[in-house]
Amino acid sequence: MTSYILRRLAQAIPVLLIASLGIWAMIYAVPGSPVGALVGENATPEQIAAVTARLGLDQPILVQYWRWLLAALDGDLGQSIQNREPVLDLIAKRIPATMQLGLAATLIGLLVGIPVAVASALKPNSLLDRVLSGWSALALGVPTFWLGILLILLFAVQLHWLPSASAYYSIFTDPLAALANLALPALTLGLYVSGVFSRFLRAALISELLADYVRTARSKGLRERDVVGRHVMRNAMLPFVTVVGLLLANFIGGTLVTEAVFTYPGLGRLLIQAIGVRDYPLIQGCILFILTIYITMNLLVDVLYAYIDPRIDYH
Amino acid sequence: MNPTLRRLLAHRGALLGIAYMVVLAFTAAFAHLILPGDPLAQDLANTLDPPSAEHWFGTDELGRDLMTRAIYGARTSLITALGAVTIGGVIGVPIGLIAGFFGGWRDAILMRIVDVLLALPGILFAMALIAVLGRSQLASLVAVGITGIPGFARITRAQVLSLRQRDFVTAVEALGGSSAYNMFTNVLPNAWSPILVSVVVLSSVAILLEAALSFLGVGIPPPTPSWGDMLRTGKGFLYEAPYYAVLPGIVLTLTILSLDTIGRTLSRLIEDRQSAEDEG
Repeated sequence: MTSYILRRLAQAIPVLLIASLGIWAMIYAVPGSPVGALVGENATPEQIAAVTARLGLDQPILVQYWRWLLAALDGDLGQSIQNREPVLDLIAKRIPATMQLGLAATLIGLLVGIPVAVASALKPNSLLDRVLSGWSALALGVPTFWLGILLILLFAVQLHWLPSASAYYSIFTDPLAALANLALPALTLGLYVSGVFSRFLRAALISELLADYVRTARSKGLRERDVVGRHVMRNAMLPFVTVVGLLLANFIGGTLVTEAVFTYPGLGRLLIQAIGVRDYPLIQGCILFILTIYITMNLLVDVLYAYIDPRIDYH
Repeated sequence: MNPTLRRLLAHRGALLGIAYMVVLAFTAAFAHLILPGDPLAQDLANTLDPPSAEHWFGTDELGRDLMTRAIYGARTSLITALGAVTIGGVIGVPIGLIAGFFGGWRDAILMRIVDVLLALPGILFAMALIAVLGRSQLASLVAVGITGIPGFARITRAQVLSLRQRDFVTAVEALGGSSAYNMFTNVLPNAWSPILVSVVVLSSVAILLEAALSFLGVGIPPPTPSWGDMLRTGKGFLYEAPYYAVLPGIVLTLTILSLDTIGRTLSRLIEDRQSAEDEG
C-alpha cells in the first residue's frame, strides 16, 4: 500500500513539474518581453527592477523557472498586473465561492443520480429504465451553459423567483441568501453531475446484480431491499469511485462555464477575467492552482480506491 | 453494404442522429446557396426584433438575422471539429501505433507524454494555449485538437496491442516483412473500427469544447458566427430578447446528442462484433 502511494506520487510529481514548466514558459510565448508580460505596460521602472531581481530575469531560463517555482511553492505567485494585489490573495478570496458551488452541485448530483441509477438497474431495459437512461443522456448532452441560460429564462425572467446573476453568500453566515443565489448554478452543474453518476452507477449495479452472491442472498430469502441496499450497493460503489476521478476534469470545465453563466464570483471567473485583460501573473497563478488541486484530488481518489478495495494488488 | 453500417442504420436513435448530422453538414456547406441573407449584414433599424415572417428566429443586437447566423455557426463549428479531430488523429494515431507495435522504451516514453496531456483538463489546457497564441479560429482549432491527441493515442495503442500477437501479424514478421509495412498495411487497417468511434466521440467533445471556449469569450472572436459566441451575447439580452439564446442552444444540443448517440451505438455494435469474432 505504502509503495503504491509512493509510486503514484512519483507519477504525479513529474506531471506537475512538466505542466508548471509549460505555465512558466507562457510568458516567453506571448508577444513582447517576458518582463512586460509579468508587470504590464504601465509598470514603473521600480516595479520592473523588483520583478527582474525577484525572479532573476537576467539569469538563464532554467534558473528563472527554478526561482519562480521556489517562490510559488512558498506561496508567492507574484502580483496581479491589473490591481497590483498578490495573486495568491486574489485566488484565496475566490476559493470559498467555488468550493460552495462544487459541493452543492455534487450533492444534487448524488441526490438525483443514485435513485435514477438504482431504479434503472433494478429493471434493465424496462420502459422506466429507457426513460431514465434518456434522462441521463440528456443531462450529459445538454451543454451546461445552455442549461444555465434556460434555467435563468424560466426562474428569473419568467417567474421572478430567483436572481439571474448569482452573488456569493456563505451558507453559514447568510443561509437564505446563499440558497437563493446558489440554487440555479448548483442545479445547472448538479444535473450534469447526476447524468455522469447515474450512467456509471447503473452499469456497475447491473453487472453486480448478476453476481453469484446476489442469487445466494435472494435464495436464502433476503428482502430485495436488503440485497440491493446492503450488498450490491457497496460493491457497485467501488468502481464508481474511479468515476469521481474521471469526473474531476469535466467538473473543472463545468465550474468554469457555470460561473460564467451566472457571473458567480468564483475561481473560474477570476481566470477568465485574467485572460480577458492579459494579466499573465494571475493567469499563471490560477492555472497552476487549479491544476495542483486537480492532480492532488486525482491522487487522493486513486489512493482511496486502493484502500477501500483490498482485493486489488497494485504492482 | 458494410454489415456494421447496416446495423447502425437499423438503430432508430443512431439513424435519427445520422440524419440530423447529414442535414446540418449539408446546410452548413451550402448555406450561401440556400440562404438569402449574409450572416454579417447589419440592420441597425431592426435590432433585437422578435421572430417574424422575415426573420424566423428574430434579429440580434446589430439587426443580423439569428437563423442565418446559427446556420453559418454550424459551418464554424463543424470546420473546427473537423480540423481538431484531424490534428488529434494525425498525431495521436501514429503515437498509439508506434507505442503499441514496438512496446519497450518507445511505448514508455510516448505513453508518459500522453499521460501528462491526459492529466490536464482539456478546457484548462486550451485556455492556457489561447492565452498565449491570442484569440483566433486557428488557435481554438489547434488547442481543441491537441486535447484530442491522448484519446486517439490510447485507443489505437490498445487496439494494436491486441492485434500484435495475432498470427497474421507475427507471420509477416517471421517472413521478414519490414515493421513499417506490417504496421501500416497489416495492423492499422484492422484497428480502424475503434478509431472511427473515437472520431465520432471526439468530434462531439471538440464541438462542445469550442462552443464553451467561445461562450467564455476566449474562443473564436466575433464577428465570425459561432454558437458559443451567440449564446454568450444572447445571455446579455435575456430580458429584452429571451428567444436570442434559444436557437443556437437547440442546434448545439441536438448536434452533441446526435454525435453521442451515433458514437455509443457504434461502439456497442463493434463490441458485439468483436465478441462474436472471439467466440467464432
